[in-house]
Amino acid sequence: MAEKLQAEKKSVPIIQVKNLYKIYRVGDSKVYALGGVDFTINRGEFCAIVGPSGSGKSTLLNMMAGLEKPSKGEIVIGGTHIEKMTENQLVAFRRQHVGFIFQSYNLLQTLNAVENVALPLSFRGVPKKTRNKVAQKYIKLVGLEKQMNHMANEMSGGQQQRVGIARALAVNPQIIFADEPTGNLDSKTTKEILGLMQKIVREQNQTLVMVTHDNYIAKFADRQLHIVDGKILKIEEQHHHNTEEETGYENEM
Amino acid sequence: MKFRDLLSMSVNSLRRRKLRTFLTVLGVIIGTASIVVMVSLGIGLNQLTMEQIASYGSLTEITVRSDAMWGGNNEEEPNYMTDESMEQIRRLDHVVSASPLLNVYVIMKQGAYEANINIIGVTPEYMAKIPLKEGTYPQTGSDELQMVVGNMVARQFYNPKSNSFSYYDDPSAIPDIDFMNQPMFVIFDTNTYYQSKNGATDENGSTIKPPKKYLIPACGLVEGTAEEWNNYSYSVYVDLDALKSQLKKVFKKNPIPNQPTNKKGKPLSYFVYDEAVVEVDDMENVSQVQKLINDMGFQASSNMEWLEQSQQQSNMVQAVLGGIGAVSLFVAAIGIANTMMMSIYERTKEIGIIKVLGCDMENIRNMFLIESGFIGFMGGITGILLSYGISFLINHFLSAQMLTGMDGNLSRIPPWLSIAAVGFAVFVGMAAGFFPALRAMKLSPLAAIRNE
Repeated sequence: MAEKLQAEKKSVPIIQVKNLYKIYRVGDSKVYALGGVDFTINRGEFCAIVGPSGSGKSTLLNMMAGLEKPSKGEIVIGGTHIEKMTENQLVAFRRQHVGFIFQSYNLLQTLNAVENVALPLSFRGVPKKTRNKVAQKYIKLVGLEKQMNHMANEMSGGQQQRVGIARALAVNPQIIFADEPTGNLDSKTTKEILGLMQKIVREQNQTLVMVTHDNYIAKFADRQLHIVDGKILKIEEQHHHNTEEETGYENEM
Repeated sequence: MKFRDLLSMSVNSLRRRKLRTFLTVLGVIIGTASIVVMVSLGIGLNQLTMEQIASYGSLTEITVRSDAMWGGNNEEEPNYMTDESMEQIRRLDHVVSASPLLNVYVIMKQGAYEANINIIGVTPEYMAKIPLKEGTYPQTGSDELQMVVGNMVARQFYNPKSNSFSYYDDPSAIPDIDFMNQPMFVIFDTNTYYQSKNGATDENGSTIKPPKKYLIPACGLVEGTAEEWNNYSYSVYVDLDALKSQLKKVFKKNPIPNQPTNKKGKPLSYFVYDEAVVEVDDMENVSQVQKLINDMGFQASSNMEWLEQSQQQSNMVQAVLGGIGAVSLFVAAIGIANTMMMSIYERTKEIGIIKVLGCDMENIRNMFLIESGFIGFMGGITGILLSYGISFLINHFLSAQMLTGMDGNLSRIPPWLSIAAVGFAVFVGMAAGFFPALRAMKLSPLAAIRNE
């Protein structure tokens, strides 16, 4: 019964990208950051976008999150076209549907852990009491009960990224975007964070799109989109139950 | 986003840079205080002038004079000011009351002392405005004369046998005249009195007999000691109608001194006034009524003319003083703008993050506006407190008497000024922060997720 439900959910497309182009003009010549990308990401999926630097993977993520405008093509998220939205609409869209995890954590230095997690909720006008309760719940979920009242600079990188994950989860988004979430972390912490993200995707039935240049990190995902020079090279699917035991860590940098 | 959350974010970021915030606020404090103190000086000056003018008589009063009585024009029928013209004036718009003043010069005697005194017949409305130290106003409707005696009338008494006139220098030498309890004799027919005194003879060769003396009771004394001057100090006031019937009784068919006669030298059948006081309902209508009375052929004057002139003057002084203060607030505004720009450069990343996390552009703008408005608010409040302090010091150590010859506080901060000053400081803060706030609003969210 539960499996059936899971299977049904998985087949619902949440992100549809159709024939997406991003063209930069450098002088008289055109540079194709993305040259016609098509793919679909389903609800409850952990998807990695993998590619070397300059491949256009970050541009793709930015466009899906509504931070950059595509030159051509369609992006449909949860049934809504976002490519034609104004900046104000995009902000509202991000506020309602999107969670973010950054490479450099990007916590506000003036706020403590709980306040940082509660911050996006305050943009929605959630009263302080309610949002702090929600924030505490997610901080416990990422295992930082003891650091709740620590300021951002009083925590280690791994702890800060956990707060970042809690912040992304707190708004109960349709999709979470993560841009090199482990780029600033050591290998041990990287494993912990990735494991946490994997666990959350499964338990909370969240959709997670992660950008990375690291093939090893990408292996934690259910699906890998390999991008090279603005085009999808291949899509790999893998059903791993015990990724952590099967694969050893090789840093390809 | 809730206002409270916006406010707490703004205040938080101000608290992060305490020294810079303090310095910016200090600029606003100095700016606000200099405007408020300067304007308070202007207001003080203005009010001092107004008080001074008001002390010379009410500001809603018009004094009307007629020179017809002195043969000022050679018309057939001189334009006398009579009871009829008073009635006309009363019918004008905005006129509350019109009281003619009937001046009679008499000699008063008590014991060894005598004095030349001006008795003024006034209407009961006019009488009611005279402040009394003791006694009551004269009864209206009675034919018996009752006097309200000015507080400096006693200074006019002298002893004709001693020839000493030193009262003006020595207050203790003012004769001890008791108006209320001792009998006071009044001689209305002063001409006959002097003639009889000098031993003059009439056309028949017989010596002129001294005129009849009348015993007139006093019913009240004007407020103030013999040293304190006010508008009513030097005269004796009586009821107009009682005075008229008294004069008729005294002079019968003979001409009354100080009253015009017809061409045959006979007295007129009515009284003519050379002065009247018109009370207007509001200060603003004084000039209008004054003009109408002038059109009737009388000379109307009021303190308003004087007041308007000095108000214009003090408005200019106020504008100049306020302008000097405004310059320093303007400099403070530049300081706020500068601080806000710096703050935005420093917080580019932070602004980007909250934009990515879904903070509305308007909210970002408002956050910065609140921040700069808050700087203005703090500066305004503290500036007002500082102004009260400075104002106190000015009033304490700089006497207005010395600078302007007027008594009272030189620097005055009315409540509206403090409220307006805080409001203005907040406005200036927000105006200075407006363009920085727009800039923050338009920052690209990509700046935040660009990896460094």
